[in-house]
Amino acid sequence: MKLKITAITMLVSFLCSCGKNFTDLSPISQRNVSAFYQTSGDMITAINSAYKALQMNGTYNQSYWVMFETRSDNTDAGPDQTGLGADLAVIDNFVEVPATAELITSAYLDSYVGIGRCNIVLSRIDPIQMDERLKARIKGEALFLRSLFYYNLTVAFGNIPLILNEISVDEGKGYLQVPAAEVYKQLIADLKQSEEWLWKKSEYAAADAGRATKGSAAALLAKIYLTAGDKTSAVPVLRRIISDYGYILLPEYANIWGVANENNAESIFEVQFKGGGTSTGNAFTNVFSPLLRNSVGAYKNRPMPEMAGLYQAGDKRFAASMRTSYISTTGATIIAPFIVKYGTETKFNEGDADYNFIVLRYADVLLMLAEALGESDEAYNLINDVRFRAGLGKIDASTPGSFSDKLLRERRVELAFENHRWPDLLRFGKAKEIMQAQGKNPRLLFRIPQRELDINPQFKQNDI
Amino acid sequence: MSAFLRLLGILLILGLVRPLSNAQTYVYAKLNYDSAKKTGHEQKKYLRDVLAELETAYKVSIMFDSKLVGKITVPEEKIKKYETLDAAFLNLLDAGKIRVKKLSGDFYVLQKAGGTESPQVSPVLAAMPAEGNKTELVNASRMMVSGTVTDAATGEALPGVSVRVKGGTKGAGTDVNGKYKFDVPANSVLVFTYIGYKGREVQVNSRAVVDVALEKDENNSLNEVVVVGYGTQQRRDITGSVGSVTAKNIKDIAVTSFENAIQGQIAGVQVQEPSGEPGAATTIRVRGVGSISAGNEPLYVIDGFPVSKNVDPGVQGDVARRTTAFRPPPANPLGTISPNDIESVEVLKDASAAAIYGSRGSNGVIIITTKKGKKGEGRPVVGFDAYYGTQTVAREVDLMNAAEYADYVKNAKNNTYLQDIPGANINDPNSVRYTKTTNGTYFIPDDFVNLTGTDTDWQDLIFKTAPVQNYNVSLSGGSDKLSYYTSGGYYNQDGIIDNSGFERFSFRVNLEAEPVKKLKVGFGLNPSFTNTARNSAGAPYFADPPGAVYSAIVHSPTVSPFLPDGSINQTDNQSHLFTENGTGANMTAANNPLAILKYIHDDLKQFRTFGNIFAEYELFDGLKYKLYTGIDVNNYSRSFYREKAFLDRGALTGDPYGQSNSSLNTNWLVENTLSYKKTISDDHMISAVAGYSAQKDHIGANQILAQNYPDDLVQTISGGQVTGGTSTEEEWSLVSLLARANYAYKDKYLVTATIRSDRSSRFGEGHKTGVFPSFSVGWRLSEEPFLKKITALNDLKIRASWGETGNFLIPNYAAIGLLNPYNYVLGNVVVNGIAPSTPNNKNLTWEKNTQTDIGLDIGFLRNRISASVDWYRKITSDLLLNVQVPAAVGFGTLNPLQNIGEVENKGLEVSLSSRNLTGKFTWSTDLNFSTNKNEVLKLGSSGDPILSTGGAGIRHITRIGDPIGSYYGYVVEGIYQSMEEIAAAPKDELAPASRPGDFRFKDVNGDGKINASDRTVTGNYQPKYTWGITNTLGYKGVSLSFLFQGVEGAEVLNLTRRHMGNGEGATNSYALWTERWISPEQPGNGTIPRADRLTDTHGNNNRPSSFQVEDASYIRLRNVTVAYTLPPKMLSKRFSSARLYLSGTNLFTSTDYLGYNPEVNNQSTATGVQGEDYGAYPLSRNFSLGLNITF
Repeated sequence: MKLKITAITMLVSFLCSCGKNFTDLSPISQRNVSAFYQTSGDMITAINSAYKALQMNGTYNQSYWVMFETRSDNTDAGPDQTGLGADLAVIDNFVEVPATAELITSAYLDSYVGIGRCNIVLSRIDPIQMDERLKARIKGEALFLRSLFYYNLTVAFGNIPLILNEISVDEGKGYLQVPAAEVYKQLIADLKQSEEWLWKKSEYAAADAGRATKGSAAALLAKIYLTAGDKTSAVPVLRRIISDYGYILLPEYANIWGVANENNAESIFEVQFKGGGTSTGNAFTNVFSPLLRNSVGAYKNRPMPEMAGLYQAGDKRFAASMRTSYISTTGATIIAPFIVKYGTETKFNEGDADYNFIVLRYADVLLMLAEALGESDEAYNLINDVRFRAGLGKIDASTPGSFSDKLLRERRVELAFENHRWPDLLRFGKAKEIMQAQGKNPRLLFRIPQRELDINPQFKQNDI
Repeated sequence: MSAFLRLLGILLILGLVRPLSNAQTYVYAKLNYDSAKKTGHEQKKYLRDVLAELETAYKVSIMFDSKLVGKITVPEEKIKKYETLDAAFLNLLDAGKIRVKKLSGDFYVLQKAGGTESPQVSPVLAAMPAEGNKTELVNASRMMVSGTVTDAATGEALPGVSVRVKGGTKGAGTDVNGKYKFDVPANSVLVFTYIGYKGREVQVNSRAVVDVALEKDENNSLNEVVVVGYGTQQRRDITGSVGSVTAKNIKDIAVTSFENAIQGQIAGVQVQEPSGEPGAATTIRVRGVGSISAGNEPLYVIDGFPVSKNVDPGVQGDVARRTTAFRPPPANPLGTISPNDIESVEVLKDASAAAIYGSRGSNGVIIITTKKGKKGEGRPVVGFDAYYGTQTVAREVDLMNAAEYADYVKNAKNNTYLQDIPGANINDPNSVRYTKTTNGTYFIPDDFVNLTGTDTDWQDLIFKTAPVQNYNVSLSGGSDKLSYYTSGGYYNQDGIIDNSGFERFSFRVNLEAEPVKKLKVGFGLNPSFTNTARNSAGAPYFADPPGAVYSAIVHSPTVSPFLPDGSINQTDNQSHLFTENGTGANMTAANNPLAILKYIHDDLKQFRTFGNIFAEYELFDGLKYKLYTGIDVNNYSRSFYREKAFLDRGALTGDPYGQSNSSLNTNWLVENTLSYKKTISDDHMISAVAGYSAQKDHIGANQILAQNYPDDLVQTISGGQVTGGTSTEEEWSLVSLLARANYAYKDKYLVTATIRSDRSSRFGEGHKTGVFPSFSVGWRLSEEPFLKKITALNDLKIRASWGETGNFLIPNYAAIGLLNPYNYVLGNVVVNGIAPSTPNNKNLTWEKNTQTDIGLDIGFLRNRISASVDWYRKITSDLLLNVQVPAAVGFGTLNPLQNIGEVENKGLEVSLSSRNLTGKFTWSTDLNFSTNKNEVLKLGSSGDPILSTGGAGIRHITRIGDPIGSYYGYVVEGIYQSMEEIAAAPKDELAPASRPGDFRFKDVNGDGKINASDRTVTGNYQPKYTWGITNTLGYKGVSLSFLFQGVEGAEVLNLTRRHMGNGEGATNSYALWTERWISPEQPGNGTIPRADRLTDTHGNNNRPSSFQVEDASYIRLRNVTVAYTLPPKMLSKRFSSARLYLSGTNLFTSTDYLGYNPEVNNQSTATGVQGEDYGAYPLSRNFSLGLNITF
């Protein structure tokens, strides 16, 4: 008996005696870094995650429109100034406090999340055995996306750290801010390379609709040339887009947006959203909708009262861009200006709408070329191409106002609520003047999130 | 069951065969009292009879050799009341023949003068039936009975135990081997009594052998057996710091779980109830907070099985849409354990005690021992415990009524209007204001201009009186070979807020048997089922789902709770908040709390089973081998549904969504230990234990989400469209070697050394193994000859310990760079995207905790007063910190763990126990007091502070020189009274347009301007000291006990002030805001600034500041119990004891804190952001009537 018991206990204990690998456990339901980034398929999924960063709250879903539309003279915070409304109001009024401006902090953070994902692709793709043309395309996509995030960051914050490789947590602190000019220099080089590596829109399969193309890289490159003040260099790039990449102005302005018109022939690059509970829907459709129109319409980014007046009689762009009233659920007509470019209905409530956000489109390219060329017949022709499509007559040198003012005004209505206004005001040197005219005391740069200054005391804050 | 009884019977029969020993017996004084009366002597009494009277009069036991006392008689005149027992002895005894020796306490032996000193070696005094009893000897129903009396906890034989026949005259004492033998009536009941132990009565039932185990009397703390890791020790031999609470200290406090019951009862153990939600987890901090990122919960060891309190939201399946920061405290995973089944709770506080648990010991170890059957108990004991009580909200907050609120709103809006709008006049009606601005902020809602008379008390509407009931039946008993304890319990607590409650069905079986000699086997099984209704009570009003409590207190009293048709008003209550054209008045939309409670459903079910089985075999004298295996299976399932009928914050249509979660957690353990215990030549006591253990944990959790329910008819996932889901699995494993040795020389010099080596899967390659040593010494000065003379002092021990422990409470794969899916849309189809979510850190390893403890135990006046004092210093190094990394690294706000930093906790603990009055009227006091000072010593290489984001942005800082997670913000210096004062003050860069009545913030760094660099530490959640005091009074069968408990020097970050104290008037506010600054002539109470609807753009009074930090010290009457134990004569034969009690819990709390609960802690599991109040479920006050019966 004694022997048996001893034998059994010994047996049990030996069965459980555990080798070294007993404590070597790998994640079961999460992939880990050392096992990934091995195949071309891995790299495609990796670059897809960088696109995903475009959908974040800190990027095109929220912060970018707050910073580039609400901040500008196009829109304001909306009537309800509690919660998010209060956050918007301080940004709208240039009185945001660094520590509390969460929307600005998330813009900064999320843009770098996107940049980080691009850097991982760029740092890890070279040794992988795969189709070289596909490899080049993925690298081109990474360079384009990274440049797009950097462009937004630089416009918003000016001096920012410029990171071009996958870095470790410890290395992170070694990076200090570099001047905007230096960032633009890098972006120009990157985008040139990107344009070379990327495919034309026509070369992609339908399933890849939404990826960056040669046209995307070129359009962003031209915009950065303009932003950096190098109009001369922008001209050939813009001409190349017009001649080589096959974009057109859609006959109907209204058809540029809408779920049925995604990735159309005018669209050069757009952020793809898809509702349906897969965490890929947009929140702004809901946020832009007026109060009570949808069950949770938040009515932010409200067009300023003068916005409606900027559209000349017969301008087809007005109805496609905004409304000034709507019929309430009780049948009453409610006076309230609101944006309609991104739809007003959602399939699921709470920020899960289907509408895409167009970042770059052909009309912008035409107007950029006009800007790069300066006052000239060709420039007026380009502007008039855009106006004709809107159902308006031509303008020329005899039209009152400076060329720059006329161009800026045209850009304002053509590209209304597409995150162009604040960068345009800065690029045209009009931000101070125009915002002051509104009784505001404008800051040209957003404040660097306090978080970053707290982590790295060598960072310099932008002046108020 | 019948099989069980049969088995029991067989074992009982087997147990009867036992060699008889030569009984050595003392005679007790009482023996012949009856027979003496028969002698009828009037002038004289037998000495033995007189001694018996002395026993009764002085409450002592007097033992003597019956031959010695023989037929000595005492003259009547000497029989009187003597001042002292000694005087009585002096007068009654012939000093030449008899001498008295005091053995211990109340125990005396009469010996032949000049005879041997020690009763242990004195000649055997045979049982001496007196003359009159001779006839009994020939009675046929009599039999010889023998047996061994042992200590129930240690199994050691007890010499000198009195054994007598109940109601009769016969008796005996046990010999040095604890054995006794004498003849008794076959159907008699034996009464066993022994100093320092609880008496017992055992039915003979014609058994020849009656072995009995006696339990220590808890009042004698020195002999108290304390459960330490992997064994037990007597309190007197302990060199570490161990706190303990036994069943009697927790049985009357009507709470869900034992943790709530030990609140305020152990020095250095802070139990916090951050939420009053039924079934919510408490937080327990042993000697402060040692860690920021790894957990701070102690390790729980339940009947030898170590479990961590896993409250990972993935396991309980928290509502996916709810932001982490707004998650209410999790349900208590240990809520399945019925407090009725708990025998004792021990807390291992210092490193010496906790090091045996190595990498899991640094937060302290809580050892839970459940009730076991008593060996040799004889007949089964049935216990029945029940109580029924009612609960009400312990404290309501003081809010504005409709008139006060309307006044406040008008004040706020007018101030803003006058400041911002040129040409504004305070008397402008809305119609005029519309012409001057389109911003509703400046409009005053009609409801506030002309009050309708509605004045709703929302708190009254949501709080109700709720019942709580508890029933527990247990059956226990045992023979000398087998003991059993089995119980079934039912507990049901309704919440004081509708739709919340906690229900538990618990079962337990504990068996122990000695099937063959030297082999002991045991088995324990505890399956329990709980059902927690978790309404959406504790969250901010704007969370999703919103919190009912916060919604109730921000809700305007001008709104009616119901519509005229009697339905819940969700539509007519927001009219003044905004209008559809956006010209609304910009008030904050909150939900009708009644709608939240009615339309949001959240049920959490838990099924948990603890099982263990062990076998222990004595290989040879003193050396035992034990194999212990255990399993813990924990299953949660949760279903959540937000009805379509719920209109969130003024929405016109509902947005129904549902969620279903389930998780299964299995954890197994195998442990092999060898233990050895030996006493060498009486002076050297050695005990040691060594072991090897392996433990592995696996969690699998699933979640399904659905939306778009067409109606509310089907509220499960099947009723809607499935829109998402996840399934995750995780594991951890731990392999350990452990050893401990104790050595005591002459019971005076005590040494303990412990070592444990742990290898854990959670840490980085090459850093998986940690070694944790500890060492402690004790010196019982009271055993030294020079102190033995001081009779008042009966115990004095000094102790010192040093040791290292670790903290392994980090995520399972924190050392590995993980990737997460980040899917995008291409070609209008969702495509896979994958990117890192956490960085790699191969160097990740344990937090090391080095602790020094110096302690003193002292006992006076036969231990009527005993005290313990401990001083400790605990340094956590290699502190795991979620380091804020620059955004540029690309991980967003994710802050990866790194081993940087050092934190110190040091403090003093005092426990005092005093039996102030003994005798008929008893009064005892137990007091504990502890201080703790927490200070960050080091943070990474550069020492940069760590800022943490809580429920509302960055409001916490961990920096060198301050406690972990201190509150961080601006400091309010006062209130500006004039424009001149504003102009003269340092420029406040955050206040674009301050006006008189706004806060004057402090220029902390003195640079002449106020900006982000002026933020500083404004308080901390950790108390400076905590205390508890219990007084118990008794008279005959009635007892009264009350427990006061308190916390000093803790602060709460009251985030409800962000809305209810921001001066904007967009929500209802605390009544205190009626004392706000109105004008220089009406400056209010001097602490509350002016009302201003847009303070963000003016004085910015609502920025994170000291104004939101409140003193949360409190004194609480935690429990009062009045109990009546029925005297035996009132009991029918069927009952052996019965006790009735009335108990009240949380009767009264005195605090300056404005909110419901000064212990509130919204994110109880996130250490960096402790102490926020963002609308929590309040605590309840509870009265209950209870009954304990055994039969």
